[in-house]
Amino acid sequence: MDILIDSLLAILTIYLAFRCMLAKKLSKAVFVFFAFGLMLALTWIRLDAVDVAIAEAAIASGFMGVLFLDSLRDFSPAFSENQEGIEKTLNHSVKKPNSFPRLPVISLGIGLVLFLLISLDAIWKIPQGGGMAAIAEEKLPESGVDHPVTAVLLNYRAYDTWLEIGVILMGLLAVYAAGGLKQYRKPGLATAEDPLLRRTILIFTPALFLFGAFLLYFGKMGPGGAFQAAVLWGAIGILLHLGGWPIFTGIPRRMRQVLVTIGLGFFLLLGLTLMATGGALFEYPKTSAGFLILVVETLAAISIATALTAVFAFLTK
Amino acid sequence: METYEIYSLTSVILFTIGIGGVFMAAHFLRKIIATIIMGAGVFLCFVSLAKRDSLSFADPIPHALVITGIVVAVTAAAFALSLARRIHKLTGEDTFADER
Repeated sequence: MDILIDSLLAILTIYLAFRCMLAKKLSKAVFVFFAFGLMLALTWIRLDAVDVAIAEAAIASGFMGVLFLDSLRDFSPAFSENQEGIEKTLNHSVKKPNSFPRLPVISLGIGLVLFLLISLDAIWKIPQGGGMAAIAEEKLPESGVDHPVTAVLLNYRAYDTWLEIGVILMGLLAVYAAGGLKQYRKPGLATAEDPLLRRTILIFTPALFLFGAFLLYFGKMGPGGAFQAAVLWGAIGILLHLGGWPIFTGIPRRMRQVLVTIGLGFFLLLGLTLMATGGALFEYPKTSAGFLILVVETLAAISIATALTAVFAFLTK
Repeated sequence: METYEIYSLTSVILFTIGIGGVFMAAHFLRKIIATIIMGAGVFLCFVSLAKRDSLSFADPIPHALVITGIVVAVTAAAFALSLARRIHKLTGEDTFADER
């Protein structure tokens, strides 16, 4: 029975990935991508990785899918303001059909099949090393939390997590830099007048906030934690933005900067303080580790949520 | 056949589909989606091997690495998207095709 479910999931995942690449229309590819992400989330659950499943469904499928959907608006001729450029590319694509590069495609196909076979062989022969599960389990009582994944993320390998928050900040700055100077549009998007949408968003906002807070706190003893909570809180910002409340652009500029950097900043300050008091970087004192982790997680979640909202608000202008 | 073996093999196939898509797909959006599928293949390999090495719970270190990886991949993809949209806005092109 298990094998049946697993093979079905595996085949579906592969099929959706194929469809995603081969779909004729771009919009279809994006929707299949949503489905692919959710299927992958089910796969993570089958592999006992519930944290990863939440992160995948929320960030990789949800947030990324929303960004892709929004980009469709730019890339489809009907919505684009850049009509001249569109006509140029349309004319260009009409001329193309008989110049189909046959040799590169065949050699790429052969190369991919060879690559597939070699990697299958390599994966099959990865030796059973035992992994780090034993060490993680042994040190769990000292980490301040009861869930091994949270312990790894915020205690054993806190340095990685700190850098990751930095990567998100860098990503935000890079999106700003690549997007060019634009003025935030004040009245929000076209859907803002829809009363049903506004009402629904208002109803969902407290529920999302509460569920995010629950995930944040529950990360201490089960699947959940800063990233999953951050995405839910980011979803609040995105929904409010879509409903015509440009919440991110509404708050003062200084406040925005503080919100985006507070996670990274507090994490670093905490690390330096711990070093100054005689420990290593991010070596929490055993008695207050749980509390410190919760504070770090909350601030990190606020920063990530703000950054996600900011990326969305900037890209959808 | 164990659960992890099925997904280990799936991960390789996903990665190959992704790498094929990066080369074959013309449109920017499709190329970005292809890189995400490649990433998904790598993550699946990690997590399936974590399942193999599980004791009372699955190996948490690959899980943590994968969560970090997903967030970083999404950030990179968002950056790629903003670049693609800028290119489209400035030139009107949506592929890397040669001009003839």
